[in-house]
Amino acid sequence: MKLSILPKIIIACVIVVFILWTLTPVLWMISLSFKPYGEWRTPHLLPQKPTIDNYRMLFTPQALQIFIAYTAIIEPVTGPLTRSLIVSITATIIAVIIGFFTAYGASRYNTPGPFVLFFTLLTRMLPPATFLTPIMVYFTTLGLFDNIAGLILLYSATTITYAIWIMKGFIDAIPVEWEEAALMEGAKPLEVLFKVVLPIARPGLVVSGLFIFLMAWTELLFALVLTNVNAVTLPVQISKYVTAVGALWGTQAAIALLGSIIPVIIGYMIQRHLVTGFTFGLVRA
Amino acid sequence: MPERPPRSIKILATLPLNILLNGVLIVPFAIMIYLAFVKWSPLMGINWWEAPFIAISNFQRALSDSRFISALSRTALFVSVVVPLEFILGLVVAYILQSEFIGKKYLVALLIYPLMLPPVVVATVFYLFFQPYGPVNNIFLYYIMGKRALDIYWFLDPTLALVTIIIADVWQWTPFMFLILYSGLSAVPKRLVEAAEVLGASKWRIFWTIRLPLIKPLILIALVLRSLEALKVFDYVYVMTGGGPGTATESISLYIYRLAILYQDISYAAAVSIIVLLIIMIISRVAIYFFIEKR
Repeated sequence: MKLSILPKIIIACVIVVFILWTLTPVLWMISLSFKPYGEWRTPHLLPQKPTIDNYRMLFTPQALQIFIAYTAIIEPVTGPLTRSLIVSITATIIAVIIGFFTAYGASRYNTPGPFVLFFTLLTRMLPPATFLTPIMVYFTTLGLFDNIAGLILLYSATTITYAIWIMKGFIDAIPVEWEEAALMEGAKPLEVLFKVVLPIARPGLVVSGLFIFLMAWTELLFALVLTNVNAVTLPVQISKYVTAVGALWGTQAAIALLGSIIPVIIGYMIQRHLVTGFTFGLVRA
Repeated sequence: MPERPPRSIKILATLPLNILLNGVLIVPFAIMIYLAFVKWSPLMGINWWEAPFIAISNFQRALSDSRFISALSRTALFVSVVVPLEFILGLVVAYILQSEFIGKKYLVALLIYPLMLPPVVVATVFYLFFQPYGPVNNIFLYYIMGKRALDIYWFLDPTLALVTIIIADVWQWTPFMFLILYSGLSAVPKRLVEAAEVLGASKWRIFWTIRLPLIKPLILIALVLRSLEALKVFDYVYVMTGGGPGTATESISLYIYRLAILYQDISYAAAVSIIVLLIIMIISRVAIYFFIEKR
């Protein structure tokens, strides 16, 4: 596109405004997380006396006890952080393994049928809040309340949609002839699956796995409902700092940033596939 | 490939998925339908399978529950504000970035980071952003309105509180629209646009008659997915306003959450959930008919 000078200026302005709009909130948060208590409410853009006290408070929150009565909240952030990692990684592994088999069947043999595939999409599209009541009752009855095993099961069941649909796209792109050739050579169907399809579909496994990790890592609603003390995940801890602790701006900023590091790294690792992921493979970038 | 799957493949491709979906989602769904027709709360001191049957009273109660109706209409309002806003903003930026310049690749990468952040983090960011002495009042508005800016309490005013939630959602999900539309527009064949330019069509005309029609399916997918996603809104409301002031910003997800957790009114929450599910299914069915099947 060739442009004359005036539209160019307008376009540059729009882009600059959009960049500012996108960057300002998080840049200000980073600055806030390094400000000492006295500077939180001042209009300075940069911390005058930078400090890491806000981060230290997250790991050794005794100082918080003055402000709050809840014991669950003042747990050091390492607990929720490890739990979030365990839950997200395990749920990802379960969803990717089951999703791989399902996607292969869906791509090659029309199993498990259009209805089940549609149902998986439906579980992802309808508001999770509508499933909240029975999940709570059911998990409590099974003894999975406040138990990370419950969260793992729930997350793998609700994110498997992405595993199936993203990987189906990758497997669809593998020529069927390769598998047929292997079958002709006398390989068993399972050998074909593990030795021919799996190695070629590995990028699909990685992309869907990272995407599912992102989804499990950021989930708040069910984590809020299904946890109390023993299974609090990082999003719940972040929300508790805001809803229950109150005016500790610097610490709130610090924990929010701490919770964004891993998802942003993963997001950029699968940047080219984000569109595919968010649209269940309906749109290929 | 053989038409029918070998036994081993068939088992692997259906059994684990069925166990997971049945065990974790189908059984609760059945429980939800059961709960909607009984009267049960953990406070009643009996097990949920022993609860008394009360037929459709829960549903009758929901239809005359003004808080439920207003949460529903507020969520609908929210969706009909944020989705067009995000779409238009995303389209403008995606169109502008079609022109070539140095470092475009990095700029695109920079602009899409909000959609990688956990929504609860975005909610925290904007919660802090709109505090009385936060940067919006203390820096931006201070320059425009002076000292008066410090007296704006965003979360204490019903309208302003809703505005902050809308801003948070637009901030996080405009990049989603942008990314989809950008990749769609970039895929429009260059020679089509060049041919139209040679024939003397204006930029505006090329956009409306060539680029936009070509990415129409994409636009529909983006709008449908974003609307369904916006209907779920919970994180921002829960963290930023807690539904307040009063119940002025309560979304339908937050209302169900409150019914189940705060009021422990489990069977009523189940009935409300079923009504919401039905409404969304009917709307999406109608939308699919009008947008996809009718043409």
